[in-house]
Amino acid sequence: MTMHETTPERVLGDDIVIAEGVKKWFGDFQALKGVTTRVKEREVVVIIGPSGSGKSTFIRCLNRLEAHQEGTIIIDGTELTNDLKNIEKIRSEVGMVFQQFNLFPHLTVMDNITLAPIWVRKTPKAEAEATAMELLERVGIPEQADKYPGQLSGGQQQRVAIARSLAMKPRIMLFDEPTSALDPEMIKEVLDVMKELAASGMTMIVVTHEMGFAREVADRVMFFDYGTIVEEGTPEHFFTNPQHDRTKLFLSQIL
Amino acid sequence: MTGHMVTEVTELAPEPPPKGIGVWLKENLFSTPASGAMSIIAIVVALAAIRGILGFIFDPSRRWEAVTYNMRLLMVQAYPAEQAIRIWFSVGVVVVLLALSLAVWRVGGRTSPRQVGGTLFAVGSLALLGGLLGPFSASGKIGWIVVGAVLAGVGYYLRNGLGERAKEESIPVLGAVAVVIGLILVVIWTIELPFPVRDTAGEQVVSFLPIASSTRIPWTIIALVGVASYVVMKFARDLLPAVPTRRVLVGLWVLSYPVLVLVVLRDPHVPLDRVWSFYLPLAVGFAVVGALVLNVAANRSLGELGRVIGAVALIIALASFAFQMEYVVRFLLLAFAFFALAAPTFGGEGASRRIFLVMWAISALLIVFFYVMATSESTVEVPGAFMLGGLGLTLILSITAIVASFPIGLLLALARTSKMPLFRIMATTYIELVRGVPLITWLLVAFIMLPVALPQGVSIGGVMRAIGAMTFFSAAYLAENVRGGLQAIPKGQYEASQALGMTTSQMTVFIVLPQALRAVIPALVGQVIAIFKDTSLVTIVGLFDFLHIARAVIPGQSQPFNFLGTFREPLLFAAVVYWMFTFTFSRISLRLEKKLGVGER
Amino acid sequence: MTVEVREHQKTPLWRNATFLKWVAQIGVLVALLALFALLGSEALKNFNQSGISFGWKWLSDPTGVDIREGIDTSPDSGVRALAVGMVNTLRVGVSGIIAATVLGTLIGIGRLSKNWIVNKLSTVYIESIRNVPLLLQIFFWQAMALVLPQLATDDVGTYWFKASNKGFGLAWFRTDGGFWPWMLFVVAGILVGRAVSRSRHRIQEETGRITYPGLSWLATVIVFAAVGWFAWPILRFLAPVWHGIASFFRALPPIVYPIVGAIASIGFAVLWIRNFFESRRTPAGFGKLTDDDWFRVIFAGFSGIALAIVSFVIGGFVLTTVGGDKASVAELIGRGIANVFDWLGRSFEVTSGSPIVGSRPEVIVRGAGFVNFSEGGVVMSVPFFAIWTGVTLYTASFIAEIVRGGILAVPKGQTEAAMALGLRRSQYLRLVILPQAFRIILPPMGNQYLNLMKNTSLGIAVAFPEIVQVGTTILNQTGQSLPVVLVWMGFFVSLSLGISAIVNYYNRKMMIVER
Repeated sequence: MTMHETTPERVLGDDIVIAEGVKKWFGDFQALKGVTTRVKEREVVVIIGPSGSGKSTFIRCLNRLEAHQEGTIIIDGTELTNDLKNIEKIRSEVGMVFQQFNLFPHLTVMDNITLAPIWVRKTPKAEAEATAMELLERVGIPEQADKYPGQLSGGQQQRVAIARSLAMKPRIMLFDEPTSALDPEMIKEVLDVMKELAASGMTMIVVTHEMGFAREVADRVMFFDYGTIVEEGTPEHFFTNPQHDRTKLFLSQIL
Repeated sequence: MTGHMVTEVTELAPEPPPKGIGVWLKENLFSTPASGAMSIIAIVVALAAIRGILGFIFDPSRRWEAVTYNMRLLMVQAYPAEQAIRIWFSVGVVVVLLALSLAVWRVGGRTSPRQVGGTLFAVGSLALLGGLLGPFSASGKIGWIVVGAVLAGVGYYLRNGLGERAKEESIPVLGAVAVVIGLILVVIWTIELPFPVRDTAGEQVVSFLPIASSTRIPWTIIALVGVASYVVMKFARDLLPAVPTRRVLVGLWVLSYPVLVLVVLRDPHVPLDRVWSFYLPLAVGFAVVGALVLNVAANRSLGELGRVIGAVALIIALASFAFQMEYVVRFLLLAFAFFALAAPTFGGEGASRRIFLVMWAISALLIVFFYVMATSESTVEVPGAFMLGGLGLTLILSITAIVASFPIGLLLALARTSKMPLFRIMATTYIELVRGVPLITWLLVAFIMLPVALPQGVSIGGVMRAIGAMTFFSAAYLAENVRGGLQAIPKGQYEASQALGMTTSQMTVFIVLPQALRAVIPALVGQVIAIFKDTSLVTIVGLFDFLHIARAVIPGQSQPFNFLGTFREPLLFAAVVYWMFTFTFSRISLRLEKKLGVGER
Repeated sequence: MTVEVREHQKTPLWRNATFLKWVAQIGVLVALLALFALLGSEALKNFNQSGISFGWKWLSDPTGVDIREGIDTSPDSGVRALAVGMVNTLRVGVSGIIAATVLGTLIGIGRLSKNWIVNKLSTVYIESIRNVPLLLQIFFWQAMALVLPQLATDDVGTYWFKASNKGFGLAWFRTDGGFWPWMLFVVAGILVGRAVSRSRHRIQEETGRITYPGLSWLATVIVFAAVGWFAWPILRFLAPVWHGIASFFRALPPIVYPIVGAIASIGFAVLWIRNFFESRRTPAGFGKLTDDDWFRVIFAGFSGIALAIVSFVIGGFVLTTVGGDKASVAELIGRGIANVFDWLGRSFEVTSGSPIVGSRPEVIVRGAGFVNFSEGGVVMSVPFFAIWTGVTLYTASFIAEIVRGGILAVPKGQTEAAMALGLRRSQYLRLVILPQAFRIILPPMGNQYLNLMKNTSLGIAVAFPEIVQVGTTILNQTGQSLPVVLVWMGFFVSLSLGISAIVNYYNRKMMIVER
C-alpha cells in the first residue's frame, strides 16, 4: 500500500470505490434510487446537484454514516455490510470533512487531531502529535495548535477538520459541501488546501457548489438529481456540452 | 470566530445624577397608587414578620439550651467522646482539600467596596430594625441598635463615601472570607453562653462558658491549617505543573471519602494474619496476572480475539456468582471483566497502555483494600446500629447516594437515548416507575421487603438500605438530567466521531459524555440539593439522622435536663443548618451557570 | 485491473452488527430478569417459611383498622380502608394544588415586580422555603399547631373560627337536600352559557361591536343557578330515569365488562398500529421499516392482546364481598355502577331542604370531660393542617420560580413588537405575553403538581391517614407487603399518568404550529 504518492500528472489507478445499484430510504422517502458508479485511485470526482438530490446521502453511505438498504458498496476491496470488522476497516481508510466542520468543541485543536490516531490507530502519543504538527503546517495554521475550535474562524476550523481527517492516513477523502458554511473571504483558503491535496494524489469525492473548483481540479463531474446520477463526464464536456435537459437547467440556474 | 480585539476608545456613558432617598422611595415603592398600596401592605407584613420572628426567638420561655446542650448529639449522635479526634481529623482533611482546591483552581475573584458596603449596609439595617422591634431589655436594645448602626454606617461609607474607588474590584473574596472566619473564631472564644457542668460535689449547675467551649480548640486548629494550606498552595501552584496537580487533587478527593468513612471513622480491626495469608497475595496476584492478560487483550494485532477475551472474562465473572466463594473474588472478577472488555478500545499503545495497566493494578488493590476495611469490624463502640448519627449521618447518606447514583444515572440516560429499542424500553420503564412513586414508598420497600428478598446469610443494615433506596431513586432523576445534556449534543459530533472510526464506547467516553456533563452541571448541583433535602425522609423509617435527633430525640429527653415537648427550637435550628447547606449549593449552581454560559448560546 | 463485484460475502455472526446489537439487549434483559427471579423466589421462600402467602383476600376481609379522619373512620374492609386513604391523599393534593398555584403565581409575579419591597419579600419567601426539607417544615407546622390552647369545657359553643390543638374549626358550606338536582341546573347553565358566549364572540368578531362574551357566560350561569335554587323540586320526574339506568346495569351480564375492556385495548392497539403505518406511507408507497419500527409495531400489538387477556383475568377474579357472598370483579363493577345511579335517583327524590346551607363549627362535650368539635362546619385536623400547609407553601415556592422563568422566557422582541403595534399594557400582557408564557410554564407546572401529590405521602410522618399511611397500617396487621406495595405503585403511577395526560392535552391545545 503506497500512501500519498505524489504524481503531478495524477495517473489514475484501479477502481477503489465501487457502487452498484445503491438504494436508500429514509422512512418513507427514497433518497437513492439505484446509484451505480466507480471511482479510481487518485481520481478527483466532484458531485453537484440541487439540494435534496441525494448527493450527500450517497457519500455518507460510502463510510456508513447512513446504511444503504439495497445494492453493493465496495471500498478498496472490502464490502460494506453490517460486518463490524469491515465497517471499522473502511471508516479508518475513508476520511470525511463536513459542512459544519464538526470539530469537538471541548478539545484543543491538537487533541482534536490526535484523538483518533491514538485511540483508533493506536499510534503512540508523541508520534501522533508530530504528525499532527506536520499536518497543521500543511494546512497553514501550525500556530493554532493549542487553541479551542471556538477561538478559530470558520476557514481555520475547516482546515483543522481536514487535518483531523488526514491524521488517520486515509486512502479516500469525502467532502460534504466543505465551503457552504463559510464566509466568502474564507472559501479560498479551504479550496487551496483541497487543491494541494488533490495534487498530492489523494482520491477525493467532493460534494460542492464551487464550479470553479470542479473545472480546475476534477477528473470527472457527476450530476445528481432525484436520487440518481443523471449525467457524468469530464469537466470540459460537462460544462460546455451537457446532454441532459435537467443538467442544462441546473447549470443555467447556478452559473 | 477570531477574537477581533476591539481597542477603540469608547466614551463613557454620563454618570446618572445621585438620587436622594425621596427619589428612590418614589421610584421603587410609590411609582403608582397601586404600587404604593402594595408597598404599605408589604411593609406591614414585613414588619410583623420580623417582629414575630424576633419575638419567638427571644421569648424567655424558649428553651434554646435544648440545642446548645445537645450540640454533639445533633452533629454525631453517640460517637464516643474519646474518639472525637477521628471526626476532627476527617473534618480537617476535607477543609485542607478544599483550601488546596480553591488555590489550585484559582477560585474566587475580587469584589468591590461597593458590593461589600451594600451587604454590610443591609445586615446593619436589619440589625437596627431588629433592635427597634425586638422584645429586648433596654440594654439589649441599645446593643443591637449600636451594632446595627455601626455596621450600616460603615456599609454606607464604603458604598457611597469612596467615590470612584468604590467601584474598583480591590477586595479579594477569599480574603473577605478569611476575615469572617477570623471573626467567628474570636466570637467562639469570647462570647459566653450558659452550659451545664458538674461542680465539685458532683451536682449539676449551670455555668457560663464560651460558645463551643469544648470544640473551639479543634475548630481553631482546623481553620488555621486550612488557611495555611491555602497560602502555601497559592505560592506553590506556580511551581507545580497544572494538569497533574489537578489530577492528583481529584484523586485525593475521590479516595478521601471512602478512606475517611471506612477507615478513619470506623477504625476497623483488620485480621492481619488473614491479610498476609490471603488478601494481599490475592490482590497482588490479580493485579499481576490481570495486567499480563490485559496486555495481550489490548494488542491490536489480535483482532477480534481481544474482544473474545473480554467476553470470556465477563462470563467467568457472572458464573462466579453461582459458586461458593468470597465476595471479594467475585468483585475482582467483575472488575477484571470490565477492564478486559475495555482493553481493545481503550488499551492504547506505549505510554497509554502502561497507564491502562497501572490503572487496573491500582483498581484491584483498592477493591481488596476497601473490601477488607468494610468487612472488618469497627472498634469504635457506639450504642445503637451505626457509628454516626445526626448531621454526620445525613452527610454520609447524601454523599454516598449522590456518588453511587451517578454512574447508574449515566448508564440509564445512555440507555434511554440509545438506538436499541429494548435498552430504551427498560430504561424508560425504570425511570418512569421510580419517579412516579414517592421516595418514602421506596424507603418503606427497602425496609420492609428487601430484608426478606435477600438470600440467606446476606443482611443489610438500616443505613445501607436507606442508601440503596436513595441511590436507585436519585439515579432515575439524574438520568433525566443527563438526558437533557445528551439531547443537546449536535448530530454532527456523532457523525464526525464515526467518520474517524471511533467505536461507540470511544465516542461515548471521549466526545459525548464530556460535552453532555458540562451542559448539565447546574442541573446536577440542583439534584445534589434535592438529595440532601430528601435524606431527611429516613427519619420516618427510624434512622437517627439530623432531623430525627432534632425532632424526636431531643424533645424526648427527660435526663439530665427535661426537654420533654421542646419541639420547635431544635427544629428551627435544624432548618437553619439545612438552609445554610442548600443555599450555599444553590449559589454555587448559579455561579456555574453563569460561568458555563448555559442558556446563553 | 478492475475489481469485480462479487457475490455478497457472508458476515460471520460474531461480527454482525445487527446480531450483536440484539444479543446485547436480550442478554441484559435476561440477566435482569434472572436477578429479579432470584430475589423473588428467595422472597417467596422466606415468606412461605414465615407462613405468609400473598393474596388479595385482605381487600375484602374486615381490617379492624381505625382511621383518624376521612370519609369512613372505621372501614369494614381493606379495600374501603384504602379508598379512605386515597380520598384523603386527593383531598390534600387537590386543595393544595389550587392553593399553591394561586400563591405561587402571586409570588412569582411579585419577584418580577418593580416595587422594591414586594420584590424582596417574594425573594425571601422563595429562598427560605425551598431550601429547607419539606419534612422538617411539616414537622414544624405540626409543632406550631400542637402548642395551641386545648379545648376545655368553657370553650363549648358555636364559632365562626376556632383554633385549638385538636385542629381548626371553620365555618363552611354543607350540601343539603336538592343539591344534585340543583347541580343539574348549574351544569346546564354552564353549557348554555358556553353557547351564548360563543355566539356573542362571533358577533363581536363580525360586527366589531363589543358584546362581553365572558360576562354573558357568567350571567347565564348565575341566572340558571338562581332559578334552579327554587325550581329544583320539578326535576323529581328524573328519579325513575336514574333508577331505570341502574336496573339496566344490574341486568347486564357481567361478562360485558371484560369484553368492553378487551375490545378497547385491542382497538387501541390496532388504531395505534394503523396510525403508525399511515405515518410511514407516502405518495410513492410505503417506506422501508427499520427493525426498530417493526419492534414498535410488534410491541404495540403484543401489549394490546396482553391487556385484553388481563381484563378477562381481572374480570373473572372472584372476591368475597363485605356481605359475605362471593362475586367476580366484573360483577362488582356492574353493581358499583348501578349503585351510583340508584344513589343519584334517591337524591332526586328529596323534596325539602335547600341545595347548600351554611354550617359553623361547634365545640361539644363528649363523655366525661372529653371536649371536641362536633360535625358542624369544616374541621381541619392538626395532621391535615401540617401536611397541607407544608406541601402548599413548599410547592408554591417552586411554582413561583417557574412562573417567573416563564414570563422572563418570552423574548423581549415580543413586547417590543406588541408595543409597536400600539397595544395597551393590559392588552399585550393578556394577548401576547401570557399565552406564550403559559406554554412555557405548563410542563414544569405539571411536574410540580405531581411532586405535590407525591409529597402528600409524607403525611405518614404526622399520622395523617393518606394512602401510604393506611397501607403501612394494613401491612403491619396482615403482613401482605407485596400486594400493598403494588397498590401504592398502581395508585401513584395512575396519578402521574393522569396528571401528565391533562398537561399533554393542554400542551397540544396551546401548541404553536411550527414549520
